[in-house]
Amino acid sequence: MRIRAVVSATLASAGILIAGWQSGTHVADTASATGTTAGPASAGSTGAGTGTTGSAGSGAGSSSKSSSGSAGSSAAASGSTGSSGASSNAGGTFAGDVVQTRFGSVQVQISVTGGKITDVTALQLTDEDRRSVQISNRAAPLLRAEVLKAQSANVQTISGATVTSSAYLTSLQAALDAAHL
Amino acid sequence: MQPTSDLEVPQLKAKTFRCMGTVISLTVPVAPGKGSAAGELALTAAAAAVERLFRELDARFSLYRPESEASRLARGELQLRAASQDFRDRYAEAADWRLLTEGAFTPERPDGVPDLSGLVKGFAIKEAGAALQALGHGDWCLNAGGDVLVAGSPIAGGQASWQAGIVDPQDRRTLIAAFPLGGSTAIRALATSGSAERGDHIWTSGAGVSTFRQVSVAAADIVTADVLATAIVAGGIPMLNRATSGWDVEVLAIRNDGGILATPGFRA
Repeated sequence: MRIRAVVSATLASAGILIAGWQSGTHVADTASATGTTAGPASAGSTGAGTGTTGSAGSGAGSSSKSSSGSAGSSAAASGSTGSSGASSNAGGTFAGDVVQTRFGSVQVQISVTGGKITDVTALQLTDEDRRSVQISNRAAPLLRAEVLKAQSANVQTISGATVTSSAYLTSLQAALDAAHL
Repeated sequence: MQPTSDLEVPQLKAKTFRCMGTVISLTVPVAPGKGSAAGELALTAAAAAVERLFRELDARFSLYRPESEASRLARGELQLRAASQDFRDRYAEAADWRLLTEGAFTPERPDGVPDLSGLVKGFAIKEAGAALQALGHGDWCLNAGGDVLVAGSPIAGGQASWQAGIVDPQDRRTLIAAFPLGGSTAIRALATSGSAERGDHIWTSGAGVSTFRQVSVAAADIVTADVLATAIVAGGIPMLNRATSGWDVEVLAIRNDGGILATPGFRA
């Protein structure tokens, strides 16, 4: 269920990107140089896909991979535009809007080469919000030594499969209770 | 208790009673400076309220009591639609869980008799917790046969979490893990189910032997923790993955061969 949500969010995000990128190519002239020189931040630049397609201009963007759009703003297409040249067949990497899903924020980045999407990667799958951590909350194999440990001396209660009244007598919980009677 | 430098060592007081075939423990911190007699009285009253609640539910839902409503239903003397509102409410809740767990948790025995014992203990703990809150208790730990619900802190008025240990199923005298409950976290409940302990309360879906020997689930509420722990023992890996993706829970599952599967919250 979660996977489906993520995939659909990813697709939606990619769709937005593509739309933005296409509109970006059309309005490339008006490009409104927001993201270009400012380096990775480009905060506040909302308009999806505002240019940067060909527009050699900056070169600043080329190295920085738009590390996870800071202010949550779409940071659309703040990415690298590849090198200066490729104006006709636009290429580069483009970060999509941050999309809120019930599992948290999701943001994807597409790589375009020769006008085709060649890669889709997830820039952001989680954030500080606890629920969204669940996106990676799958139970994975763990060695005994890797598990959160406790000595019976510093726990206040014991969880275990239901003990019968008689089994309780020899249980750790009984020992704890006896110590606190 | 081993002394720690900057942490206060909890001073605790406990009361226990037997019900539902197991032992229920109520533990509260001792307020420093407070007269021990007053604290003792408050704890006794709180434990009595909890015990009354457990006994009422046990009298209605126990299949071990021939005169209980559950037993009359099992013998066919009573139809479900003629059962008490309480019984039908719990049955409806259990049926909802059957849907949510895609059948891994079920309110019926294989022979079709309604068996709500997988739900009733968790429900009793939840109700007891509500009663304790209503009585004005902010810090307590309620343990019913290994299923735990806490509020507040083991230090009276403190911020520290309760530390719950989880029994190692291969050696019940040792702990395999720990988990913090309460304190500043929203996770207040920890339930553990096993395939070896009381086989009578988990009906595995299909004829197969369970993949898991013991499953612990930490959640915000005890019914969710308890039901999901039971469901994962019954439903195996697919149910484990459904639980971790569909609910805000942490899971520690121990395979029959001793291997461990755990969500990040259980990682040291």
